[in-house]
Amino acid sequence: MTEPHFTVTESGLMTPEGMYIPGEPPKGIRRIPKGVDRLGTEHLIVNMGPQHPSTHGVLHLIVELDGEEVVTVEVSIGFLHRGIEKLAESRRFDHLGTLMDRGDYVSVIHGEQAVALAVEKLMEIEVPAKAAWIRTLTAELTRLASHLVWFGTFGLDTGAMGQFLYAMRDREVLLDILEEISGQRMMFNYVRPGGVVADLPTGIESRILSFCDTFEVYLEEHDALLGGNEIFQARVKGIGVVSKETALAFGLTGANLRASGLGFDVRRDRPYDAYPELEFDIPIGTIGDSWDRYTVRMEEMRQSLRMIRQLVGGMPGGPFTAKVPKVLRPPAGEVYASVESSRGETGIHLFTDGGTTPYRMHYRAASLFTCQLFEEILPGHLFADACMLLGSFDIMLGEVDR
Amino acid sequence: MAIDKLTGENSLAFIKSEQLFDYARSNSLWYLAFGSACCAIEGLMHASGPRFDFDRMGVFFRASPRQADVMIVAGTVNLKLAETVRTLYDQMPEPKWVVAFGACANTGGPFREYPNVLLGVDKILPVDVYVPGCPPRPESIHFAFRELQKKIRGRAEERLEARRDSR
Amino acid sequence: MRPDVTAVDRALTSFGSKYSVCDAQVGIIVACDQSDALPILQALRDSELDFAMLLDLFGRDVDGKIEITYHLRSYSRDQELYVRCHLDHDGDLHSVWTVYPSALMPERETAELYGLTLSDHPNPKRLLTTDGVPPLLRKSVPIRTVEEVRSR
Repeated sequence: MTEPHFTVTESGLMTPEGMYIPGEPPKGIRRIPKGVDRLGTEHLIVNMGPQHPSTHGVLHLIVELDGEEVVTVEVSIGFLHRGIEKLAESRRFDHLGTLMDRGDYVSVIHGEQAVALAVEKLMEIEVPAKAAWIRTLTAELTRLASHLVWFGTFGLDTGAMGQFLYAMRDREVLLDILEEISGQRMMFNYVRPGGVVADLPTGIESRILSFCDTFEVYLEEHDALLGGNEIFQARVKGIGVVSKETALAFGLTGANLRASGLGFDVRRDRPYDAYPELEFDIPIGTIGDSWDRYTVRMEEMRQSLRMIRQLVGGMPGGPFTAKVPKVLRPPAGEVYASVESSRGETGIHLFTDGGTTPYRMHYRAASLFTCQLFEEILPGHLFADACMLLGSFDIMLGEVDR
Repeated sequence: MAIDKLTGENSLAFIKSEQLFDYARSNSLWYLAFGSACCAIEGLMHASGPRFDFDRMGVFFRASPRQADVMIVAGTVNLKLAETVRTLYDQMPEPKWVVAFGACANTGGPFREYPNVLLGVDKILPVDVYVPGCPPRPESIHFAFRELQKKIRGRAEERLEARRDSR
Repeated sequence: MRPDVTAVDRALTSFGSKYSVCDAQVGIIVACDQSDALPILQALRDSELDFAMLLDLFGRDVDGKIEITYHLRSYSRDQELYVRCHLDHDGDLHSVWTVYPSALMPERETAELYGLTLSDHPNPKRLLTTDGVPPLLRKSVPIRTVEEVRSR
C-alpha cells in the first residue's frame, strides 16, 4: 500500500499542489497515479456493457475497481462481428461499398472511398476531376455529420444534455443534403470504383452554401455551449493523457494521434481525390488529454467547412464517372489504399486473383486500435472519468468488430 | 375508444379496468436504450432527436431493462450478442413487447450468409412488430409504435371478449 | 513512401540469411520465419529507419498456408514496410506485443479466425466469437448458401 494522495490536517486538506482553499475547485485530488491501492479493501469487478448507455454500442468492459478508482480493464468485443471481410470474398467489386457502409456506419463515405481507391489503383482507372471533387465534397459533409454525433454523445457522457439536441438538429440538415445527393439518409452507397453513382442534383450548391453559412455560426455556439462550460472543462482537462509514444505504440491514427502532437493526416500526407488542390490546416494538440481531442475535432469541423466552401466554389465540369466495365475484373495483385475517416486511418488491403470477387479484403479499422488503448489508459482514473474517456476517443463498434 | 372526448365538465367514463390499464400502457411505451448497430443511429438517436421527437408519443428511453416496456432490437444479432439480448429480454417486466427494427433484426439482412450471424431475432424472442429497411427511416419507428399501440389496445378487447365467451 | 532496400538490409545485417527483401507491387516486403518476426521487428523499430508504429496485422489463407503480414510505418521518415511470414494451418503464432503493443488485439483476432494457436500473449483468449465457432476466415469454411438462408 502506498502513501495516500492527500492528507487531512487540522487546518484543512493538504493536496500535492498545496493547501486546499475552501470555495475553489479541489486541485490534485482527481489525478491519482497509476497502481495506487489506497483503500486496501477487496476489489470490485464491474461489468460495463454490452448494454450500457455510455459505451456507444455493444462494447463490454470488465473493470476492476478499488473504491472508485479503476485498477485494471479488459476490453471484450465481438458483439457486432458480422463478417465484413469474409462476405467481401463473395461480393463483386462494385458491391463492396455496401458492406463497408455498414462497417463504420457513421462516416459512411470514407469506407466506400477506400474500397473504390483500392480497386482503381489495381485497375489503373483515371477518375474524372468532377467525380473526385464530388467524392471529396460528400466525404467532408460526412465528416461533419460524424463529428456531430461524436459532439452530441461526448457531451452526454460528461453529463450535458442540450448540445445533443442541437447537434442532432444540424445533423438532420446535413443528412437531408446527403440524401438529396445520394438517395439514402445513412447508407449512401454513392462512391463506386471509377467515380460516383449519380451527378449532383441541380440547386444543391446553394443549399450546401446556405447550410455552411448557418452552421458556421452554430458551430461557434456549440463550442461555447459545451467547450465554454466550466464544468465540462474541469471534467476533461488533464484527464486521459495519451503521450505521443503511447499513441504510436498502440497504433492510434487520425484525430486521436494528432491530439497527442503528431501531425499526420492521410489527406495531406497520402493525398487522394481532390485533396491536393484544397487549402486546409491540420490542427494538432499538445499533451493529448481529452480536452485536446475535443479541440482538435472542433477545429477539424471548421476546416471541413472551409473545404466544403472551396469544393462547391471550384466544382469542375465533365463526367461524374469514368468509363468502367459493368463487371470489374482487376488483374491479380495486392494493393493498399487508405483514407482519412472521421475516426482515423481507414485502410483497405485488397488481394485479387483476376476474378470478379476479391481473394481477400482486409479492413484496417482505426477504432480497433483505439479500443485496445483503453486497457492501457483507463487504469488510474476514476470510474466516472472512464465513461467520459470512452466518449473522447470516438470509437464506432461496427468498425471494431467488423 | 377516445378518452379525451369524454373529458368535459362532470363527465363520467365507464371503462373496464383492463382496458384502462392497456390504454395507459399504450401511451407510455418506454423503450430500452440498447442500440447494437447502425439502425440505432436512425431508430434511437435520430428518432428521439429534435425533428422526429419520440417523446410526444409518450415514448421515452430507459437505460435499465427493469424499467422498460419495449425492446427495440436495432441491428445485427450474432451468436455472441444473442445471449445478451435474451438476458435483457428476460429482465424486462411483463407485459413487454419487441420491435425488430431493420433488415438484420428481421432476417439477418446483408450479413445473413455469415455463419456467425443469427437469421433474425425472432429465433430467440417473440417479435411484435417487424420494420423493414436497411436502415429504416426514423418515421418508420413512429409507424412501428403506432402499430404497437393498436395491438395493445386491441389486446384488451380481445381478452374481454374471450372472458365474455367463457362466461 | 518506400524505404531503400539497402537501408533495410543495413538494419537487418545481423540476421544473415534468415530473411529476404523484395520490391513488390504493394511496397517493400521483408519475408521471414514467424519465429524470427519478433527480433526482426525489434531491429526495424530500433534502427535508423524508425518504424515506430505497427499500423496493421492481418492474415490470409493462401496455398494451404496462413500468411501473416505486419504493416509498419515510420512517421519521422514517412515510409512504410511490410513484414510477411507463413504459417501452417493450426500453426503457432508468436506474439510481437512486447515490441508493438498495437498487435495485441489483431493477433487475437487473426489467431481466432484462422484457427492458429497464440503463444507469448498476455491474454490469448477468443476475441470476436464464442466457443464452437469454426475459424471463419479460412477458405475451407463456407458461408451460408441461398437455400440455407431462404429456409431460415
